[in-house]
Amino acid sequence: MTTITHETLSSAEWAARAPVLRDEGWILLDLHGVDRLGLTEEDERGRFEIVCQLLKRADKSRMTVHVAAEGNPPAIASVTRVWGTAGFAERETYDMYGIVFEGHDDLSRILMPDEWEGYPLRKDYDVGKIAIDFKPQPFLQIETPGQAPTIGESEVGTDELGQIKQDDADE
Amino acid sequence: MSKTERTLEEHELIQRIEGDGQGAFVESYDAEAEVMTINMGPVHPATHGVLRLFLELDGETVMDCKPMIGYLHTGMEKECEDQNWRGAVTIVTRMDYLAPFHNEHAYSRAVEKLLGIEVPPRGVYIRMLMSELNRLTSHLVQFGTQGLDMGAMSAMFYGFREREIITDFFEMVTGLRMNHGYIVPGGVWEDLPDGWQEQVANILDVMPGRLNEYQDLLSENPIFIERTRGVGTITAEECDTLGVTGPIARASGIDWDLRRDMPYEAYDELSFEVPTQEQGDVYARYQIRMAEMVQSVALLEQIVDQMPDGDYKNMDPKLTPPPRSELNRSMEAVIHHFKLVTQGYAVPKGESYFAVESPRGELGAFVVSDGGTSPYRCHVRDPSFYNLQSLPVMAKGGLIADLIACIASLDPIMGGVDR
Repeated sequence: MTTITHETLSSAEWAARAPVLRDEGWILLDLHGVDRLGLTEEDERGRFEIVCQLLKRADKSRMTVHVAAEGNPPAIASVTRVWGTAGFAERETYDMYGIVFEGHDDLSRILMPDEWEGYPLRKDYDVGKIAIDFKPQPFLQIETPGQAPTIGESEVGTDELGQIKQDDADE
Repeated sequence: MSKTERTLEEHELIQRIEGDGQGAFVESYDAEAEVMTINMGPVHPATHGVLRLFLELDGETVMDCKPMIGYLHTGMEKECEDQNWRGAVTIVTRMDYLAPFHNEHAYSRAVEKLLGIEVPPRGVYIRMLMSELNRLTSHLVQFGTQGLDMGAMSAMFYGFREREIITDFFEMVTGLRMNHGYIVPGGVWEDLPDGWQEQVANILDVMPGRLNEYQDLLSENPIFIERTRGVGTITAEECDTLGVTGPIARASGIDWDLRRDMPYEAYDELSFEVPTQEQGDVYARYQIRMAEMVQSVALLEQIVDQMPDGDYKNMDPKLTPPPRSELNRSMEAVIHHFKLVTQGYAVPKGESYFAVESPRGELGAFVVSDGGTSPYRCHVRDPSFYNLQSLPVMAKGGLIADLIACIASLDPIMGGVDR
């Protein structure tokens, strides 16, 4: 029968506990962040935490470990030296929540572009509020029939459909 | 290390065959040798999607390999937070797009754990039916692309021929060939249509013979064996430390299958075997998938035989919209329908994790509820994401052509990796 246990640890406890767990036969299957903004009022837990799913095949048991990330920026000790699994997983958590993993060799963005600003899965991240710079189209002018359109400097009026308005004088 | 010895043996063999082992020796590599770093992908026919590999090459030998991902990232986990609990099914199903039923399954079970509800037996069996058929379609694509990458183009045609029959069945049941949104919290969305038995019987008639055809096509093909035997080996210890699950772990001798060892739904009522191999190379992974397809066919036969009657979903009116016919005569049904369509249902506070055995390994869904009508957090543990980390272990010291074989045998689905 499957047994499932839950534990809540601090960063230092997690760093000390991880090698012990590995030697007991636990393997790390998943590691990801949670932003508990809005859930923190009812309990004492802080805003950021990571959730780790561990599996021990020998006695068919699972363990869920919550590790609190404290400080600014929130930081947690890396477990990449204990389980290689954490390599990608900690990078993703850093990418999405800005949680810094101390001791990770290559803590860089993994899913988002390197120059991305902000941490998308945080609850206070503004979705859809990134300004998109729409540049106005240059006006095209055709002076003689058959001529390729040239980009004109002058302000040519356009109607509501974007068609160039024709002055009476041209006709 | 034994790993280095193995690769050296391979290179000696290659040198004997080619008569010119320039750059093929790992031993002869020194710091002054010219090392070329190149990008493979993100647009490359052999990377199965938008996988980009940063390679350090010494001649044809891969000295280092760094997977770079994120080219298909569309923020699906964030999108789930804007959907209601039912609507998020349509997002998670698009993650690992070759195993949509498994995505929905893991997510639905995680939500059901929070809701504390049971699925009626018929719903359970329909879920298993679709999951096992999905395992066949996914492995058939892997079979085809593996063959294609090894130069056996006909494998692609054969694999997709059988996949077509099964996706036709998916279309008949769910209306869609991929990304179904069919398994929902509480059961499945629709009952199986009339005539489903004939369709499944047709698939089950065809498959065993076709699986034998594949054996003739690739399994004893000397070129295929030459390209895959002893290539891209990974040990059980390396699998464990890297969190590698599924067929790749089983090919390295890890005897673990969630369907048997942590049975969910009604897998404990069915009899099947979990194939394992010891070699841990590309050929072993190929054999595992072939054997799993045979087991899936055996499972499907039992599922069809034992398919119970009754409800296919939990008929709690707070959870499931009422049948169409009731809307005409019951005010209560109209109210429930309105509430479910406009708001969805609320899920009690808490968090839960549930994992299913997908064609690529442990596919788990982690959901957090704040008591509202949409997920507070929805995370999917995608097996491809973690399996991809083992690619450098497999590829280092091998030839660049072996790297192609390794990627094919990993079967990474970039939709799941990038989410």
